[in-house]
Amino acid sequence: MPVIDVHNVSKIYNPETIPVYAVNNVHLHLERGEFTALVGPSGSGKTTLLNIIGGLDAPTEGQVVINGTDITRLTPNQLIQFRLHNIGFVFQSFNLIPVLTARENVEFIMLLQGAPKAERERRVNELMAAVGLSDKMDVRPAQLSGGQQQRVAVARALASKPQFILADEPTANLDSHSATNLLDMMAQLNRDEGMTFIFSTHDARVIERARRVITLVDGSIASDTASVDVAAGHK
Amino acid sequence: MLFLIAWRNLWRHPARSLAIIASVALGVWAGAFIISLYYGMGNERVRIAIEQEVSHLQVHHPKFREDHDVAFNFDLDSMDAVLRNTPGLKAFSLRTICHGMLANVTGSNGVQINGVEPEAENATRGLKSFVINGAYFEAGKKNQVLVGKKLADKMKLAPGGKIVLTFQDIEQNITSGAFRIAGIYETANAPLDELNVYVRRDDFNNLLNTPGRGTEAAVLLSGEAELPAALAALRQRLPGLEVEDWRAVSPETALVMTSLDITSVIIIAIILLALAFGIINTMLMAVLERTREIGMLMAVGMTKTRLFGMVVLETLLLTLVGCPVGFTLAWAVNTWLSKTGIDVTAFAGNVMKGFGYGAVIYPDLPDDKVWLILRIVFVTALVASVFPAWKALKLRPAEAIRR
Repeated sequence: MPVIDVHNVSKIYNPETIPVYAVNNVHLHLERGEFTALVGPSGSGKTTLLNIIGGLDAPTEGQVVINGTDITRLTPNQLIQFRLHNIGFVFQSFNLIPVLTARENVEFIMLLQGAPKAERERRVNELMAAVGLSDKMDVRPAQLSGGQQQRVAVARALASKPQFILADEPTANLDSHSATNLLDMMAQLNRDEGMTFIFSTHDARVIERARRVITLVDGSIASDTASVDVAAGHK
Repeated sequence: MLFLIAWRNLWRHPARSLAIIASVALGVWAGAFIISLYYGMGNERVRIAIEQEVSHLQVHHPKFREDHDVAFNFDLDSMDAVLRNTPGLKAFSLRTICHGMLANVTGSNGVQINGVEPEAENATRGLKSFVINGAYFEAGKKNQVLVGKKLADKMKLAPGGKIVLTFQDIEQNITSGAFRIAGIYETANAPLDELNVYVRRDDFNNLLNTPGRGTEAAVLLSGEAELPAALAALRQRLPGLEVEDWRAVSPETALVMTSLDITSVIIIAIILLALAFGIINTMLMAVLERTREIGMLMAVGMTKTRLFGMVVLETLLLTLVGCPVGFTLAWAVNTWLSKTGIDVTAFAGNVMKGFGYGAVIYPDLPDDKVWLILRIVFVTALVASVFPAWKALKLRPAEAIRR
């Protein structure tokens, strides 16, 4: 059973004047454990599609079914709760809460979920160790490098025990070394814990690591390539 | 953690937050100071009204106050006995009061003639201490009169001068008596000084043909706390007579205190209304410059209720942090001024006397007004937080994150 089922989704801006198709009749299935990249040139609709899958934006047409729940039918409050318990987000600009320490940023999601204190502490320690930042627990984001901030963002995304993680251009603001480290860590989480990652990116380093690459052009899927094909295409 | 975030957010821009906190502190201080000034004036007015004018309690025939007719009187000996045997009374004065006309070669003036027993009157309202020229009823001399400074100035009266008092006696006959001015007095209430003249009660009763009778008993207590018990006791012991407290005798004085409560709310509300715009502006800036962060919070699962709560909490903290500073400042200034007083003689002394107020104001901030200010500050912060919080709720996470 696919974890995410996108049925004929379109996002049309100005539908009654000059319609602009940001996403045009997209149909795709994403399985548990995937490490998938949505790629395409700027304006191709990859971020819009990612936002629709994450319930941050509503499609004009079509359905998004996640683990059997059609999220396009949820009320705004139900959608917030759904995101809180099912989806992890990693953003291009890290978007950590600057006034909280790394530990508090990770713990914050679990507080929103109402997790007990002991569980929060245990999981924060685990996650910060998993992203290799156990020694930066009590440091605020401004004192961390971009790569470290993005690692904290990944730990935060994992904290809610989501079904999958949506990462919008996660390496765009990172130097090469930090990007490689981050991708290594994500790949390991995918391999060892089966965490599903869906990236929106045009970073070749991400595309190289992805086991499935979905290319969008003008809001439509131009190609959907599995890992063997990807590897072959790069050789 | 919402509290933690809200608190730390305050200090993202310390200068900006401190400016608002300082504004709130100054607003609270200004409000507290103005209220304490008003209450100081109000307290002084009540003190003057009780100590120099109406005393805590007055007893009359039920019809006497309608037109001050001496026919509505009581027996002085019986009244004296009742009051002497009532516990808790500090002093009392039994008077015979009648309206009449004061005349001399300069002209005439309508007056209220108060027939008093000098020692008792002095014990009840300290009349002797207000004599500024001449003497307070010389012993052994008959038909002496004390006149107020304002009346004396108006009619060119001086100690030793003669005046004629004309009034109706108990049989409604027009009666006149020649009196020599013993002294000129001046209290804090110039209009009353112009109206009231004082003569010995026995002299006055002889002219009124009401020997042994009186029309008013004024009772001074140790304090306001004794008033309810004394009022109840005298009402029980003086059936058929009207026993009233100072609020009933002088409703305009009671109104001063009542109006102070309303004025307090209006003053604080005006000050904080002005502050509210500063608070709204600051919080709006705080929300708009954190658009991406708020978008992220909504994206990861923060409910609108929590987001609203976070902005409200931040506004409340920003506002309430200034309160202790403002109140401490108010307390310090009030403690100092309540000892030294604010002497307004130089620029408003006569005006104050014209309305029966003392020329030295001792600020007083009642405890309930501190709570009133706190409540109004709290409500202001709540109201001021609504617009910035609403702006935060209107953000769409997908757009906000990319800004």
